[in-house]
Amino acid sequence: MALILRRWAGTLLALGVVVVALIIGFFYSQGSADLWGQDRQPIAFSHQVHAGQLQINCLFCHRGANISPTASVPPVYICMMCHKSLKDKTPEIDKLLTYWNKKEPIPWVRLQRLPDFVHFTHKMHLSAGFKCTDCHGQVAQMSQTPRAATYEMGWCVRCHERNRASKDCFTCHY
Amino acid sequence: MDLKRRDFLKVIGATAAGSLLPGCANVETRKLIPYLLPDDEIVPGVANWYASVCRECEAGCGIIVRVMEGRAKKIEGNPTHPLNQGKLCAMGQASLQGLYNPDRIRGPLQRDGKRGEGKFKPISWDDGIARWVSELQKRPGGAVMISRPASGTLARLFSEFMRGISGELLFYHPSEDAPVRTANRLGFGIDFLPEYDLANATYLLSFGAPFVDHWLSPVHFGIAYGQMRQGRPTVRGEFVQVEPRLSLTAASADQWIPIRPGTEGLLAVGVGQIILSERRARLGKGDQKRFEDFYTRFSLDQIAAQTEVPRKEMIRLAREFSTAAAPLAIGGGIAAVQTNGTDTMMAINALNILVGNLGQPGGIRFFQPAQDFSSGEAAMVAEQALADVRGEFKQGSRSVLMLYQSNPLFTLPPSMKFGDVFDQAAFIVSFSPFMDDSTAMADLILPDHFFLESWGDYAQAGITPVPVVGLGQPVVNPLYDTRPVGDLFLIAARQYEGALKARLSWKDFKSMMEAQWKSFLNRQGVNQPFEAAWIERLQQGGWWGAQGKPISVSKRELPPSVASARFEGDEKTFPFYFYPFPSMNLHYGQGANRPWLQELPDTATTAVWGSWVEINTKTAARMGIHTGDVVRVISPFGQIEAPAVIYPGLRPDLISVPIGQGHTAYGRYAKGRGVNPLSILAPLFDERSGSLAAGGTRVRIEKTGKQGNLVLVDQTAEGKKRAPEGERGEA
Repeated sequence: MALILRRWAGTLLALGVVVVALIIGFFYSQGSADLWGQDRQPIAFSHQVHAGQLQINCLFCHRGANISPTASVPPVYICMMCHKSLKDKTPEIDKLLTYWNKKEPIPWVRLQRLPDFVHFTHKMHLSAGFKCTDCHGQVAQMSQTPRAATYEMGWCVRCHERNRASKDCFTCHY
Repeated sequence: MDLKRRDFLKVIGATAAGSLLPGCANVETRKLIPYLLPDDEIVPGVANWYASVCRECEAGCGIIVRVMEGRAKKIEGNPTHPLNQGKLCAMGQASLQGLYNPDRIRGPLQRDGKRGEGKFKPISWDDGIARWVSELQKRPGGAVMISRPASGTLARLFSEFMRGISGELLFYHPSEDAPVRTANRLGFGIDFLPEYDLANATYLLSFGAPFVDHWLSPVHFGIAYGQMRQGRPTVRGEFVQVEPRLSLTAASADQWIPIRPGTEGLLAVGVGQIILSERRARLGKGDQKRFEDFYTRFSLDQIAAQTEVPRKEMIRLAREFSTAAAPLAIGGGIAAVQTNGTDTMMAINALNILVGNLGQPGGIRFFQPAQDFSSGEAAMVAEQALADVRGEFKQGSRSVLMLYQSNPLFTLPPSMKFGDVFDQAAFIVSFSPFMDDSTAMADLILPDHFFLESWGDYAQAGITPVPVVGLGQPVVNPLYDTRPVGDLFLIAARQYEGALKARLSWKDFKSMMEAQWKSFLNRQGVNQPFEAAWIERLQQGGWWGAQGKPISVSKRELPPSVASARFEGDEKTFPFYFYPFPSMNLHYGQGANRPWLQELPDTATTAVWGSWVEINTKTAARMGIHTGDVVRVISPFGQIEAPAVIYPGLRPDLISVPIGQGHTAYGRYAKGRGVNPLSILAPLFDERSGSLAAGGTRVRIEKTGKQGNLVLVDQTAEGKKRAPEGERGEA
């Protein structure tokens, strides 16, 4: 018996690994990172309130978007520029004030991340006349922010095709 | 390839499991951590480039460092710097691995246990500095400081401090260049280096000068060499390299002449004699008689016999050299590290005098370095001076040893018995950022910042045609609890009364630098407010002036004597010459703790991560030695073992081993790796420069019957030679 087990141990192990990989792959393809991520933000920040009702320009907070490859999340100080003089108190605003008073940055959960072999630049796409909503969706109408697109290569290439942008490999992989 | 099914599955399993890891384990990339307060100078995702000065060797190239979100990411040459013109060598590139080295000393330490045991425990900065200063004050006049050559403001600070406490300051770094400097001083009466104008030369006769390996500034001369060969539309400069071992420089030459070691000066004299006798010399009236008297003392046949360069060859060299439009002779490397090193360099300089290239384009030109920028008065010393220090410690006239980025226990052969100083010293303090072989023997370690975290300047003494003072700034915040060595010396100076305290009253090293720059820029007639000028200099990476006229050289000395070099070890027992050569990557061992430099293949043999012994093909065949066999190299002073590399590029009577490995400390990448060929050298010196005659020890070799784990890039994983393209391999 032991012999049989030993004979098949490798195969069983490999099968197990394949099954686990399939399960993880399934969740990944379902955009599961978003399912896991969106409710776990340390503060229930609402784009609907800030970008929608208050009509704050995206670039006011995401200051890097038109000058840098990364759009960047705002320093806590940017939040406090308004919030230190606002009287409203909600549990979520309290959380913000706690971070600020402790002099700690807010550990936001990352929703999208491109692999290291892709070089995407926000600056270039904004310079070409795209709007934030073209890729990120109508965040001004969302109280929680999900991932708006897959951000996978096919999605990039289709848009590059539509807009007659370069499809040379070295456009993004360099 | 024999891969069993089970192994295959294991590999597949491990790969599949591994592919899942980034999603689960790498928590850091799943968070977006913003700044608390925005930093005006930082846009996340956009790089800032800061100009600074490289301190990985003594050349002082200008660098620009790419910094993103406060982390240094990449280093390039500063395009506007006159020395390196935007280029940078491997050591400079790898200095990032000095900054981020996992074995950096992270805070002040004091010895715990016996000296040299390698046990240390943390001490606070206040206590550490207090202990150092009290040891100095307990023993007035007892301190010797051995420092790598500092430059500019730091050199001035060291030298004023050591003078103030009646101590001795020695700027020492191991190199083959001391005889080159001494020969210029004795021959031309000038203390700084000339510009060797390779770029405009049409015929270059080099006696061992490894100018694309490590001579003076390989980056500067690499650029000039490119100009000489390919930079002019109608002229391609010719280049002959005379040296017993084919260095990378010789491999770039049109002709390699494998001369007998230690006779390079004789060959230069022979060539000179032919130039004179064929009346091709361009000498001034005053010099003619003096030179004729000197050169006629030698017999060409004897020279040919001693150098093993045939008379015919010498005549050809002499004619080519003297009829070239812009001939230039240079020397260094193995020709310099002999007991007659300085004389040899002077004999080579005499060739330049003979063809009248002093002050000419394509020749030797001395340009005035930056004036009014004080670097103190301490001079660079060579190994002999350290032997004298040993005497002082023995007599008891000195008892405190201070080390700054100098590693004499590694770079001096044990035959010099410099270890005695470490036994006899009452107190040893080191300011090194790394636990090198000598720092491991210290009683107290007060670690300096790495140079990328420090302020500093570098006054260029020669080589460039324009005066240059490089300016270095911290490009990142200090990673660890280290302190700038300049600050420590200013704090210590405050503990003394009187002149020392008054002279060094700046609050920190940066203020001292700013004061020095303020007065310097004033004297250069910069009529800008200092703050604006300072920022401009920081952005440019220093100050460089306009090109002046070459200084006219009035002194033209011939070598006082020209004799063959002396060697230690008799020819019968020790039949081989021995040349430990500075590795291009590791230099004299400084680079050994940087993995990038360890894995950079040696240009000739493709060896990585270790030591090897170069043996000529014929010698190896005679002794039945193959590449990879461990051989023992035995000198009258010790022995080392390393794998052999069969190499046709050296004389059959020469054995050579790269310097750089064989550390007993210096972190995980360096410690216990390979062997140190300096450890079997005889205490022989070039008399005039006091520099160690590293090429003066004779050796014999023995097979050990063992196989070494030599890694050559030019072979397959099974150790077989790679097949040339289009052929079948051995495997």
